[in-house]
Amino acid sequence: MLTNEMLIQLLAAFLFSVGLLVVLLRRDTIMVLMGIELLLNSANLSLVAFSKSAMMIDGQMQVFFVITIAAAESAIGLSILVNLYRNFGSIKTQNATTLRG
Amino acid sequence: MSLVLVILSVISAILAVTMLFAKNPITSALCLLGVLIMSAGIYGMIGEHMIATIQLVVYAGAIMVLFIFSIMLLNIESEKADHTDNPGIFFSSVALGLAAFGMFGVAIYKHFTTANIYRPQGVFSSEMVAALGGNSKVLSHALFSQFYVSFEVISLALLVAVVGAVVLAKRKID
Repeated sequence: MLTNEMLIQLLAAFLFSVGLLVVLLRRDTIMVLMGIELLLNSANLSLVAFSKSAMMIDGQMQVFFVITIAAAESAIGLSILVNLYRNFGSIKTQNATTLRG
Repeated sequence: MSLVLVILSVISAILAVTMLFAKNPITSALCLLGVLIMSAGIYGMIGEHMIATIQLVVYAGAIMVLFIFSIMLLNIESEKADHTDNPGIFFSSVALGLAAFGMFGVAIYKHFTTANIYRPQGVFSSEMVAALGGNSKVLSHALFSQFYVSFEVISLALLVAVVGAVVLAKRKID
């Protein structure tokens, strides 16, 4: 009934939902970044499982590039975070409501 | 259904929920690290050894160290209520998450139970990959022949990201 592929897809869906809630609910900017990492990870899980069950390697290549882009994104995001902390003294999202530098 | 996959999935789901409700950011970061390691275990279990290695080295090794380093650098303290204090927003967000999971679940169930659905079939079955010299060899060969331009473009993107991070994070001179 519940095959391996279906279990992995359900886990990916669950992790995606939890990541969405982390992005929506938490007020620390660093927690929002971690939620984005969780979303990317669940998408990777889904891609690899579907690509494996379809006997292709395109999904694995896509995941390789997604991981690289996730590394670049977290580096940029954390340096923006350092700037935010330097300007406002806090990294809560409600402090960064103006776009003034 | 493999028992190890079930155990890895259950631990992963519990860690993700713990990450959502933990008050301390370090706890959340360590839970996310656990989720990433469990995902690497799942990749290894279904035979994707190269993706599992990259997941461990890049995700669990580099990115999470960067996160924990930033939490320590910025000295973020745990708060009583880090979640949003508006209960309407809280419950509607939880309902949105549950609705998203329900829709994904229905789509997955339909995909795996509908009989006459188009499922593309490639040539890289497990026997074929083993005959070609293993998962890592097949993926590396594809990466440096079929996806070579993408590989070069992604390296350029990484270089731009490094320069951008340094420019953003350095102190202003004046």
